[in-house]
Amino acid sequence: MKAPSSPLVDASRRAFLRGVPALTAAAAVAPTPALANDGKHQWAMLVDVRKCIGCQACTVSCIQENIVPEGSFRTVVSTYSVKLTDSDQPAGTYVLPRLCNHCDNPPCIPVCPVSATYKREDGIVAVDGDRCVGCAYCVQACPYDARFINHETNKADKCTFCAHRVDAGLLPACVETCVGGARIFGDINDPNGELSRRLKEAQPELKVLKPELETAPRVFYIGLDERFTGKVEGEGTLWKPRNLHSSAHG
Amino acid sequence: MKIERREIIAAGGLAAFAAGFSQTLGRVVSNFTGEKEPRFAEGRHIHGRSPEPEYTVDPVTGEFTPNPNQQVSYTACLGCTTQCGVRVRVDKASGEVIRVVGNPYSPLSTEPHLPMKVSVKESLIAMSRFQDQGLAGRSTACGRGNAAMDQMSSPFRVLTPMKRVGPRNSGEWEAISFEQLVKEVVEGGDLFGEGHVDGLAALRDLENPIDPAAPELGKRVNQVGVLTSVNDGRENFSRRFWNQSFGTLNHVGHGSYCGGAYRSGSGALFGDLKKMPHAKPDLSNAEFVLFIGTAPANAGNPFKIFGSKLAKGRSEGRLDYVVVDPVLNNSNNLATAERGRWVPIRPGTDGALVMGIIRWMFDNDKVNAGYLAWPNLKAAEAAGEPSFTNAGWLVIAEEGHPRQGRFLRGSDIGIEVAAEDKYKDADPYVIATAEGELVAANSATVPAVLEATRIVELGGKPVMVKTPFELLRESARRFELAEYSAACGIPEEIIAGLADEFTRHGRKASAVAHGGMMAGNGFNNAYAVVTLNALIGNLNWKGGFIINGGGFKDNAAGPRYDLETFPGQVKPSGTPVGRNVPYERSSEFKRRQAEGKPYPATDAWFPNAPGLGTEWFTGALRGYPYTLKALVLWSCNPLYGIPGIRPLIEKDLADPKKLPLIISVDPLINESNAFADYIVPDSIMYESWGFPAPWAGIPTKATTARWPVVEPKATTNADGQRIGMETFYIALAKAMNLPGFGTDAIADMDGKRYPLDRAEDWYLRGAANVAFAGKTPVGDATDEDMALSGVDRIRPLMESTLKPEEWRKAAMVFTRGGRYQGADEAQDAARPEWQANRFNKPLWVWNENIGTARNTMTGERSSGCATWMPPSFFDGTPMREIHTEADWPLQIVSYKSALQNSYSIATRITSLHPDNPVIVHPADAGKLGLQTGDSARIRTPGGNAACTVIVHEGVMPGVMAIEHGYGHRELGARAHRLGEHTQPDRPDLRAGINLNDLGLSDPTRGDKVIWVDSVSGTAVRQGLPARLERV
Repeated sequence: MKAPSSPLVDASRRAFLRGVPALTAAAAVAPTPALANDGKHQWAMLVDVRKCIGCQACTVSCIQENIVPEGSFRTVVSTYSVKLTDSDQPAGTYVLPRLCNHCDNPPCIPVCPVSATYKREDGIVAVDGDRCVGCAYCVQACPYDARFINHETNKADKCTFCAHRVDAGLLPACVETCVGGARIFGDINDPNGELSRRLKEAQPELKVLKPELETAPRVFYIGLDERFTGKVEGEGTLWKPRNLHSSAHG
Repeated sequence: MKIERREIIAAGGLAAFAAGFSQTLGRVVSNFTGEKEPRFAEGRHIHGRSPEPEYTVDPVTGEFTPNPNQQVSYTACLGCTTQCGVRVRVDKASGEVIRVVGNPYSPLSTEPHLPMKVSVKESLIAMSRFQDQGLAGRSTACGRGNAAMDQMSSPFRVLTPMKRVGPRNSGEWEAISFEQLVKEVVEGGDLFGEGHVDGLAALRDLENPIDPAAPELGKRVNQVGVLTSVNDGRENFSRRFWNQSFGTLNHVGHGSYCGGAYRSGSGALFGDLKKMPHAKPDLSNAEFVLFIGTAPANAGNPFKIFGSKLAKGRSEGRLDYVVVDPVLNNSNNLATAERGRWVPIRPGTDGALVMGIIRWMFDNDKVNAGYLAWPNLKAAEAAGEPSFTNAGWLVIAEEGHPRQGRFLRGSDIGIEVAAEDKYKDADPYVIATAEGELVAANSATVPAVLEATRIVELGGKPVMVKTPFELLRESARRFELAEYSAACGIPEEIIAGLADEFTRHGRKASAVAHGGMMAGNGFNNAYAVVTLNALIGNLNWKGGFIINGGGFKDNAAGPRYDLETFPGQVKPSGTPVGRNVPYERSSEFKRRQAEGKPYPATDAWFPNAPGLGTEWFTGALRGYPYTLKALVLWSCNPLYGIPGIRPLIEKDLADPKKLPLIISVDPLINESNAFADYIVPDSIMYESWGFPAPWAGIPTKATTARWPVVEPKATTNADGQRIGMETFYIALAKAMNLPGFGTDAIADMDGKRYPLDRAEDWYLRGAANVAFAGKTPVGDATDEDMALSGVDRIRPLMESTLKPEEWRKAAMVFTRGGRYQGADEAQDAARPEWQANRFNKPLWVWNENIGTARNTMTGERSSGCATWMPPSFFDGTPMREIHTEADWPLQIVSYKSALQNSYSIATRITSLHPDNPVIVHPADAGKLGLQTGDSARIRTPGGNAACTVIVHEGVMPGVMAIEHGYGHRELGARAHRLGEHTQPDRPDLRAGINLNDLGLSDPTRGDKVIWVDSVSGTAVRQGLPARLERV
């Protein structure tokens, strides 16, 4: 940031804050949320990163709602301290809520040897626990690291958009409890719905993770910085959740 | 902006998604035997172990179908001191909590919150997908709020009364009956085979003085002290017993080792140094907020709703903000980099920054002098200002005058005042008018002249008077901007830029602080920060600096039951253990004065401070002002929370001869009550009753109702009552025949009397008071409301305890989880730019209590207005003169975690965030060759501790930042033994370090006490001198 060199020079409104570099705009073409043509529900999520405060309410509510074993996560907010080299502010915080992208072209489905992973008519990518053998091919195939083997059930596990709640007319747990209001969930087939309205409003700045893989994610982002869309090779991962994988502690 | 890969440090959650699969690869055998999971969509088993939803709402029609196996109850969270309203989803059969979210009626969880008249059913539909209502009316719990329910089923809970076996802090206990507990602590005796211990009955001595030579100390009953933490809506019950019934003066909370310095600085400006009123930015409407040593969206009180409002303001483009703090945190978000900025600062130098800003404002004519000149509320309001200050009231500024620092009074200039009123409230303050006249400030209709320095004649002598406006300007001009910049480490142009920005938003800007003020000059820094608000006149303005709307009192003298007073109540008196009263009124002062040397006193006194837990232990154990014979620790943890206290008192606290009886009331064993002789189980989280109110930042009236939404887990006494704080105190009162409890303890408005035999006798009548408070009572709860919210469970109690016209209104309060004023009533109906609930007293730009108090060690006065002084020990010696930068080149600071707090360690938070590596700046780490993940040792003059480091640029160079909430010795970190039962061994709960283990003693007080701020008496944890060593 560049503060006015003399206190009274360049005293325009918000002069003080201007100059902190904003994150770069997307080079990638903004994704267009496809309107499925069968007219039925197509569930999707919009994550407004500008509103995320990194409180991990989503992370913990998901754990409680879905009895996720310690050390595994269906959703989490990755949090970064970023060094800024062309700003008077030496560093900044970047947060990125992550979850299963419920891709329209999901790489996890073709690799499943028992057809346990499938896409519901409403767009939710699900794992049929009765079929799953826990081989973890899907875990490896997911470009978003969104899947894990639940060591208590020995099944592939991941975000279901809280399908059990959605089917009951409720919201996913993470959305209900999002303190910043960053997570918007809804039906992209409902043109009057909040999600469609927000997606339309945000169209120019809308992004998805790893668009080059053409997975057609159903999780859209505002304020996404491309440098964080992949797996970030962090130098230190001390703030790393514990992965005990034992049932000793509940 | 250029980022290199190696410069990106994952601060959290980075590898979460990758973690896990490598360990489980190849596990192909299905050994999962399904329990009784519900199956839903498409007949496929896709929902894992997720429980059934709590209810169903048809997304087309909105038709609501409850799940008969679950209830959704509205009560309060206790995951932090904000105490948000939450909705707790309970499995009825097991009584276990399934999940917790926000209460949509609560303004601490929702914006805007639902009106009380909305039925419980409608409130639940409002949380659903139906018409996207659940998005618009979202009511949330934070990360910790989602996890805190784990405390309920913690294996570390104390569920039965325990008595120590062997020495204090040995970790060995035996279970005893409630009746034995009460008998022993009341009657005393040779309780531990260590000799006689006085019981509470003997200690309740209301007749004999502690010290006949110092009657001001009070009676011996004061030698029983009660230390608590925060008012969880039950403090009034505790005070009824200890203060009003038992009769001790000493009942104090944790403020002095929490964020008390900020409160004291605010109290100076708001004119009440005991109750310390404070305001918050109106984040719903502000344009610019300067956060100094406080981190919205990362921590604070209220934490969560401020996080919501910050996110909304910055993403909608209305709000800009700057966070000044030694540490980068979640207040910053690079996705809105143009809206929020982080400015790193050296610890304990906020006053330099702010006095620099104030100087710039004076130098550039950006102080709102027009506002400051109005000398009273009436004149201010007539001029369109909803608040006023004392900036124009004349102060005696004559050096050496006996009343130097005091305001000139009407009686000084010939205004008729009764002799007994001289220099008291009825003796008006004085302003100078443009015509050169001196007139009473309280009746003036004209503005005061702010530049009014003149000589007046007092008692026949010429005396210089000045205005607070002038005194503050002089204070600010003591240093050049460059000097302020050099002190705080913030470039001059940024100080000027902040000042410029702060003064560009009219009344829609504000400046606020909190825990970052806990430095060795914390009071002065905080007073400076809050004074910024007075200088732009933002108090009571929409978008400006706003005060709480207040609450609906439960323990009032009505309108249904008198819960405030009772026949035979004691009015406690004497000198508090924390010596937060004037030394000049003590016998010691009179003695020393007679000897011709009133100063120094034996030790520090804090006349302008509230009750001081920081001074309790060292004071009581040394007998200054007197010893304690019994200490009650109620849900508090001073040994973990007070920096530097442990090494000073650990040995004495373990010695029953020094402090004969320690009783704790607590659901858990922490670092402090591990030293107790007895631990009495208390209710926890959603098991408790209580009526907490928001601490700050909520402009509408709000009282949250806590009620046992599940059956408490503690064992029962012989009468079948669950054991808890209330049960214990009622039993103590009955065993000692004390007033205010038992038969006929409570009167209604007709004087008819009712018993106080159970917690419900108190809280249900409190609910009736809450329900009937104000102009009109709340409506009646319906059967449906009670069924859906689980209030059905307490319905028989309400019907049998309350009157027919009362109980459904009390039920209304419980079904809504409290009583809340409408969200649309925040602003004044007639003046929509003004807040409805306003602070109506003056803001004290000059505070004469501060400006005339003498340091008890040196006899010197401190400044009566905002000023810059470096962090210092009690006698004024700068810390760096004793602990030099050569010896201790770094400084450590504490910062609040967005996730962990001091008692959430044994919850799912810890698996998500297990440790607190110390943040070290690359420049400092580089000198030692330290890299992220390395082990190191931090040393301060007060102690040392091993740690790991995380190296990145998110900290001021020269500063190491330690996240609060780790480094535990208890709360699961040590397995206690209760009879044959040993608690689980959880070494992981010991992870990390606790900054408070590195706190300093005060060398100017003989190194016998901890380092506290000399005015507010608050603990110092920001800016401790330190060095880092490789290991």
